[in-house]
Amino acid sequence: MSPLVENMTSKERVMAALAGDPVDRPPVCTPTNVATVELMDLVDAPFPDANRDGEMNARLAATAYTELGFDTIAPYFSIIQESSALGCDMQWEQKDNWPTVRMSNPIWKTSSEVTIPSDFLEHKDTRTITDSIRILKQEFGDEVAIVGKTMGPWTLAYHVFGVEPFLLGTVDDPDETMKSLEALKEITILYGKAQIDAGADVLTVPDHATGDLVSSEYYRRFLMELHQEIEEELPVPLMLHICGATIDRMPYIAETGMAAFHFDSKNDPVEAMAAVDGKIRLVGNINNPTTLYARGPKEVRAEVNAALDAGVQLIGPECAIPLKTKLENLLAIPDAIEDWVAERGTN
Amino acid sequence: MPITHEGLAREFEFVSNPGEQKHISESIDGTAPIMQEIAYELIVGNNIDVDRLTVEALAEGFTANQLLDDGLLNGMAIVGVKFRDNLIFVPEVLVAARAMKAGMTHIEPILSASGAEPAGVVIMGTVKGDLHDIGKNLCIMMLRGAGFVVHDIGVDSSPEDFIDAAEEHEAHVVGMSALLTTTMPNMGRTIATFEDMGMRDEVRIMVGGAPVTQDFADEMGADAYGDNAVDAVDKAKELVLLLAELKSS
Repeated sequence: MSPLVENMTSKERVMAALAGDPVDRPPVCTPTNVATVELMDLVDAPFPDANRDGEMNARLAATAYTELGFDTIAPYFSIIQESSALGCDMQWEQKDNWPTVRMSNPIWKTSSEVTIPSDFLEHKDTRTITDSIRILKQEFGDEVAIVGKTMGPWTLAYHVFGVEPFLLGTVDDPDETMKSLEALKEITILYGKAQIDAGADVLTVPDHATGDLVSSEYYRRFLMELHQEIEEELPVPLMLHICGATIDRMPYIAETGMAAFHFDSKNDPVEAMAAVDGKIRLVGNINNPTTLYARGPKEVRAEVNAALDAGVQLIGPECAIPLKTKLENLLAIPDAIEDWVAERGTN
Repeated sequence: MPITHEGLAREFEFVSNPGEQKHISESIDGTAPIMQEIAYELIVGNNIDVDRLTVEALAEGFTANQLLDDGLLNGMAIVGVKFRDNLIFVPEVLVAARAMKAGMTHIEPILSASGAEPAGVVIMGTVKGDLHDIGKNLCIMMLRGAGFVVHDIGVDSSPEDFIDAAEEHEAHVVGMSALLTTTMPNMGRTIATFEDMGMRDEVRIMVGGAPVTQDFADEMGADAYGDNAVDAVDKAKELVLLLAELKSS
């Protein structure tokens, strides 16, 4: 191990890993939510309020570092803050479930209707995250990487147009789809910049063009260039997040210029590393519903080891975790990394 | 007689499994040119032409069952294979489903009036707390195409919603969908409620959804896991047979 990379802070570790530089150990990274009901109780910051109040949000988000020992703090727990500010019909849910957009009641039908409200960044639900980032930056900014999140145009399109009308439109009128995505991309950039201004060190860009719904050709045709443009506009490392099977589109994703891709357990880590061919770092890909939710630390450790053995640079759950995930399973992730490094050294 | 419609013949080449090739070609071979045209236009998602051709075929004297079996379902069989094999994805299936619906609009009233025995009665819903419905809707479309009577209870469905619907419609199969890892456990809670209400032996329960796996389905106590909409139809057929055997034994 190089003496130059000993005793890194969590923030140094994450930023180095995202830049492809040497690290003292692979970081535990949370591009998406790791809050649980147990952690909500611990700091008295339950859902749904923790999604709508900056101070409460920061208190819950900080537990990723203070309680779990992860190297990042990610205060945007869901995928709906922008959509709420745009006027989507919301279901805020209870403590044990994420808030959701009622996509069966879309707010727009065409690209010409896409408008960003003048008070978009002042809306209660967009401001929750920027307020929280400011608080977290002040308290943890020197030690931990603060990970913001700005939704990509494809996911925003699901919310504002409805999944089915939007996907039908991609066949019926692809030019109109591109116009919509171009217009929605401005929201991605606007909210991303606001979070950077508030102090975000890194941004996750979820954009669910998953293999469970659309082809890799769709990714290349509709999104690759938009993601390149988003990367050029937002001056911090970006982590693209797409759930589900994505190996077939990873070669395109690797060309976006983004720092990392957060990938799902449906993709074998060895195959994923081969697919990106060293052009982008990978974050992931511990299984949520089966391993983290339903199994124990032994199985978690096995998946962490498999990802590390494959060369995955940043380790974390594959996606936002089930809110009733046991803490002992989450704590097993940093423990497993420490043990793996002690045995085998860094990548 | 081989497949005579050029476009349909090209689409048939995507079917690579020998068993499926035999089954689908036997179903298509010898069908009337207009039926093959309907099958082809459905595959490529041309709902306007499927609508027009269905009306024309009925006017020419083809029966509703011929239109369903020789036209729409033959097309949907190839759509199902292409979807399962990742040759097409949800947008392409959605346009095919829209075309199927265009044809069904004309023939469903005739089929309903004929009183034919359905393949089974299925309750389908997305579990409590989950508002995603695209996977559920695809399953419903495929199940209806395969001759099931399907009652769609929508999204955000509580265990009691599933139970009430199963009781009301005397369902053989209950299908639950979830897209969120937070809501997947509600599949287990719904199954437990069926047990608590003493109804677990009355129905077979299948689950599915992007993050759901066979392992998870087993842990929740489901009778079957559908990996995709085509698989859901196969599983529903198996469950109906299984239920009949259980009830007769």
